[in-house]
Amino acid sequence: MKKDSEVLIEKFRHITENTHEYAKSLQGKGRLLAGYMCTHVPEEILYAAGIIPVRVLSAHESQAMTRSYIHETYCSFSHDCAYQGLQHHYDYLDLIAHSSSCIHMAEAFNVWVRFAGFQHKSYLLTFPHIIHTKHASGIMVESYGEFKRFIEKLTKKPITDEDIERAIKVYNHTRRLLKRLWEFLRHDRSPITGSEVAAVTLAAQVMDKQECNQMLEQLIQGLEAEPGKEPSGVRLMVTGGACDDLRIFDLIENLNYSTNLIFMDSCTAARYFWFEVPEDRPDKLEAIAEGYISRIPCPSKDNVPGTGEKKRFRFIRQFIEEYKPDGVVFLYQRFCSPQSMDIVALKPIIDMLGIPWTELELDTTVPKSQFGTQLEALVEIIKRVAP
Amino acid sequence: MSKGNCLAGIDAGHVHTKAVIMRGVEILGYRMVPTGFDLVAAAQTALKDASDHAGISIGDLGEIVGTGIFGDRIKGPSLNVTDTVPEYMADAKGALFLNKNSRTVIDVGGNIHKAVRYNQRGSLLDVIQNDKCADGLGIFYTNMAKAMGLSEEELSELALQSTKSLSLAIQCALSAESDAIDLMCQGSDIADVADAVSKIVAERVADMCTYLELTKEVVVAGGLAKSQAMIKHLERLIKQDVSVLNLPEYVGAIGAVMSHEGGK
Amino acid sequence: MSYNLKAWKDFKNYQSTCYRNYAYASQGLRCMGSTWSVLAPLKGLGDDVYILGGEPHAASTAGTFPEEAREDLAAAEIAGLGFHSCSYLKLFVGEVVRDKIGLTDGTIKKGYPRPDLIWTTHLCNLHSKWYQEVSRRLGGVPLYPIDMIGGGDAEKDPKIVKYVCDQMEEGIDWLERVTGRDFSDELFIKAARNEIKVLVLWGNICALNMRAPAPLDERRLIALFPPAMVDRTTDQAVRLYEALLEEVQQMVETGESVAPYQRFRIVYFGLAHTYGHPEIARILRDAGAEIVASVYTFGTAGNFRGFTDGKWSWKPIDPAWVDQLDLSTRRDALSALAKIVLGWPTWQGVRSYWALEQMARAMVAEFNADGLLLAPTRSCETDFRNGYIAMQRIFKNEIPTVEYDTETVDVRKMDIPGSKRKTELFVHLMEAHKKGGA
Repeated sequence: MKKDSEVLIEKFRHITENTHEYAKSLQGKGRLLAGYMCTHVPEEILYAAGIIPVRVLSAHESQAMTRSYIHETYCSFSHDCAYQGLQHHYDYLDLIAHSSSCIHMAEAFNVWVRFAGFQHKSYLLTFPHIIHTKHASGIMVESYGEFKRFIEKLTKKPITDEDIERAIKVYNHTRRLLKRLWEFLRHDRSPITGSEVAAVTLAAQVMDKQECNQMLEQLIQGLEAEPGKEPSGVRLMVTGGACDDLRIFDLIENLNYSTNLIFMDSCTAARYFWFEVPEDRPDKLEAIAEGYISRIPCPSKDNVPGTGEKKRFRFIRQFIEEYKPDGVVFLYQRFCSPQSMDIVALKPIIDMLGIPWTELELDTTVPKSQFGTQLEALVEIIKRVAP
Repeated sequence: MSKGNCLAGIDAGHVHTKAVIMRGVEILGYRMVPTGFDLVAAAQTALKDASDHAGISIGDLGEIVGTGIFGDRIKGPSLNVTDTVPEYMADAKGALFLNKNSRTVIDVGGNIHKAVRYNQRGSLLDVIQNDKCADGLGIFYTNMAKAMGLSEEELSELALQSTKSLSLAIQCALSAESDAIDLMCQGSDIADVADAVSKIVAERVADMCTYLELTKEVVVAGGLAKSQAMIKHLERLIKQDVSVLNLPEYVGAIGAVMSHEGGK
Repeated sequence: MSYNLKAWKDFKNYQSTCYRNYAYASQGLRCMGSTWSVLAPLKGLGDDVYILGGEPHAASTAGTFPEEAREDLAAAEIAGLGFHSCSYLKLFVGEVVRDKIGLTDGTIKKGYPRPDLIWTTHLCNLHSKWYQEVSRRLGGVPLYPIDMIGGGDAEKDPKIVKYVCDQMEEGIDWLERVTGRDFSDELFIKAARNEIKVLVLWGNICALNMRAPAPLDERRLIALFPPAMVDRTTDQAVRLYEALLEEVQQMVETGESVAPYQRFRIVYFGLAHTYGHPEIARILRDAGAEIVASVYTFGTAGNFRGFTDGKWSWKPIDPAWVDQLDLSTRRDALSALAKIVLGWPTWQGVRSYWALEQMARAMVAEFNADGLLLAPTRSCETDFRNGYIAMQRIFKNEIPTVEYDTETVDVRKMDIPGSKRKTELFVHLMEAHKKGGA
C-alpha cells in the first residue's frame, strides 16, 4: 500500500513527464496559458491576469533538427527548447514570454518567434543584463508596466493592483511551501529524497500554483508525520545551470554507494523559488522588481558594480553551511558560457572549504555509466576508499 | 579496346578512394580501396583494380578525371590525372547519369555529407554541406559497427529489428559514439542501439537538408546510402521518398567522368 | 593597379602608441575594459588616462604573435578556463596568468601592467565574466560594468537611454571615489564629442564601399578600424579618421581601389576573415571575389543612419551633425553617447534577431552584393555567431549564401580544409548564379 506522500510525489512526477497533457487540461478548464523559457519572466503579472505560466522544458530526445536554426555550439537545453517549438509541441500556448536572459535561450526564443509560428503570440521583456545595478529596478518596473498593458490587451481586461497582490501572495505561498519541503533535505534522515524534491520543484514550474499549493501542503503534512528514510552515507550538493532531466538526480541517489542529494542550486531547482516578493506594497510592480532582484542571481546577470563580485557565491556558501554537503557536483550544460566561467572562480572557494567536487557536463542524454563512474569516484574520494 | 574511348574517374575521399572505368555510357569496371595515408598510392591502386575489373590496361585509358576531398592531391604526372572537378559537381553529374529523373542528390560520405540540387543537364543549382560538428558520420557508423562486432550491413539489418527508440547525444559523432557505448554498457538491446546509430546519422543529414529545396526525384549516394535503416529514418525526417542510386559509393567517380565529356 | 593607402602608417603608429602608453605608464591612470563601453567618461579623469581595451588587444595580439597566442590560450585553459570559452577572453586571461603582455609594435613586456580600474559592459555572458576573472586574478581590481541592454532601435527607447545614462552618472561618481580624482566635465565633453565623431567618420568611410569598385577591401578595413576601438576619444583619433575619409573619398572620385579586381562583391558576416586565414582569402582573391561590406568591421566601431520605420540603412551620418550636437552639460553628453553606442550595429544586432536580419538585407541591397558569406565564430556567442545559422536559412534562396565555421584565435577549433571547401563552393555558387543557375 503506497503512502499518501508517495502517491503525491508520483503525481508531481507524472506532471513533469506529461506537461502537455497537464497544461491542456488547464486549457480545457478555460484557462489561458503562457509559456516562459527562463525564470526572469514576472509570472505574477500573468497569473494576475488569469493566465497560467508554464515553463518550457526539454524533451531529452535527440534534436539534430535545430542545428540548421541555431549554431551547434549553443547549449543542449536551448536546442531542445527550440526543438519543442519547431515540432509544434507547444502550439496550444496562447503566448510565449521571455525576458532577456542568456544568449542561448534568446536564440531558442527567436526560433519560436521566427520559425515556429509564435510571431504574433510572443512577448520579449526588456530586462537588465546586470541585475545588481542601482537602476535595474527602475527599468524593470517600466518594462513590467509595458508587459502588463500588453497582457491587458491580450485578455481584454484590466489587471488591478488587487489582482497582482493576490498573485504575489499565491506565488509567495508556493515559494514558502517549497522551502519547507527542501528543509527536509537538511536532516540526516529525510522522509523524501533529493530527486523526489527535484521532481516536485520541477512540476511546480508548470502547474497552476493554487493547485500546486494544495498538493504541496498535503505532501508536507504527510512527510512531517513520516519517519525518515535510512541515513545517507554521503551528502551531495549540485550547483550549476538549467537541468530539467530528473534522471541525473535519480542517478546521483542510486550509485553503488549510499548517497543523498541534499541541495540543487539551479534555475530549475532552488533558484526558481528561493526568494519572496514583498507583500502589501503600494507599488506592486516595484515590489515584483524588488523580489526578482533579491533572488539567487542567474550567473548570466551576476556582476556587482564596483567589485565585480558574483553574488550567487554568497548563497552557495550559505547553502553549504546549512545543508552540509560532503561533496559538490558542478552540473551544467555543455557550451554554457556563464556557468563555465563561474566555476573557475567557485572551485577555489569549494577547495578552501575542504569539500571535494566533480564536474559533469550535460547534453541531451544522461550517459549513466560515464556519469556513474565519475560520481562514484567522488564518493570514493569523500570516503577515502583505497584502491 | 582502343585508347581514348575509355575514361576513368577517381574519387579520392577521406576514407575510401573509388575508381570507375567508363566507355560512353557503359560502366566497365569499378573498385574502391581504403585511402590511408598515401593518397596517390591509393588512387593508383584503385585505378589499377578498376581497370583489371574492366579488363583493360591503364595504358588504354584516355583521360583520367579526379574529384573528391583529395582530388587536387592526386593530380599530377605520377597518375596522369588530367583534370579535377569539385565533388558536388561530380555528384550532380553522376547522380543524373544514374537516374535521369533525379534533381537532388544527398551524398552521405565517410567524413562529409552534402546535398546538391541540379537541373536536367546536371548543372549546379544549389549546394549545402554539413556543419563542422556533423563531420565524420560515415566513420562513426563504421566504428560503431566494429564496436558492436558487426559488419555495416549487419548493423543496418539489426537496426530494422529495433522495438524501442533510444536517444544519443547529438553534438557530434564522438558524443554519439560515447553515448552508444554507454547504452551498450547499461545493457540496452543491441538492435535498439543499432537503430539509434542509424537514426542519428539520418538526423544530422536531414537537418542539413532543411536548408535546401529538395526537388524530386531525390536520390541518395555515398557508402551510407546502403543502410536501409538510415534511409528509413531519412525519409521520415525529410518527409520525402528517396531512391538509393545504384553503385552509390561511385557516384562521384562516375560524375567526374561525366563532367569531362563522358557519356559520349 | 592597386592603390596604396597613405594613412596606413599613422594608423599602425597610433595603435602601438596607445598600447605602449598603457604598458609603460609610470604615472597616470591605467584603465582596462571593454571597448564596447562608452569610453569618454574615463577621459574626464585627466589627460593621463591610458586605456587597454580587451577585444582589440586580444585581436591584435593574436595577429602579431600567433605562437604567443597559442601559449596564452593553453595557459588560460590550464588555469581552469573552459575549452568552449571565448578565445579572446582566454588569450587575455592567459597573458595575465603568464604575467606578460604583447604589444602591436612586436614587443613583449614582462610583468603584466595591472590596471587601476576596469570599466566595462555586458555584451554577452562571457564578456562580462572576462573582466570579473581578470579582476579576481589580479587581486581584486575595482570593476564597473554598464548594462547597455541593447537591441534594435534601443537608442530610440527612452527607458533604455535613461537606464544607460543613469548608470554612467553613477559610474562617474564611482570613478571619482575609486581614483580620488575630480571629474572634469570639460575634458569629458571634449572626449565625448571626439568619440562620437570617430564613430561617425568610420561609418562614412565604410559607406564609401557602396561604390564600384569598392575602394577598400576587408584586409584594409580590419586594419583600419582598431584605432577607433583602442581609443576613439582623442583629437588625434579624429584627425586620423578625417584624413582617411578624405583619402578614400579621393579614391572613389578617381575610381581607385586597394583591390581593383572585383568580379564579385561579397557581404560578410563574421569575424576577421583574412587575418589568420590567408589561404581562405586567397581563394576569394583569385576569383576576384572581394568582401566589400562586413558587419564586423563596419559595426564594431561605426555608426550609420540605422533604422527608420523598421528598415536599416548603412548610409552614413553627416559628420557635421556631430559638431552641432548640444553637449552643454554632463547629462547632454552622456545622453548623446548612450544613443550613439546603442545605435551601433553590434549593440542592435546582438539582442534583436530582426535587427540583424534587417542589417543583412540592407547590406546586400545597398552594397549591391553578389553573395553572402557567413562565418560564425565558434568561440563567440554574440555578434559573431548569434543568429547566423538562421540567416543562412533565410537568405539561401535569395542570394548565394554559404556558412562556414571560423574562429577568432584558436586554430585548434578551426577547420581550415572544411572552410576552404566551403569558400570554393561559395565562389562556384556565385558563378552559377551569374550564369542563371543558383
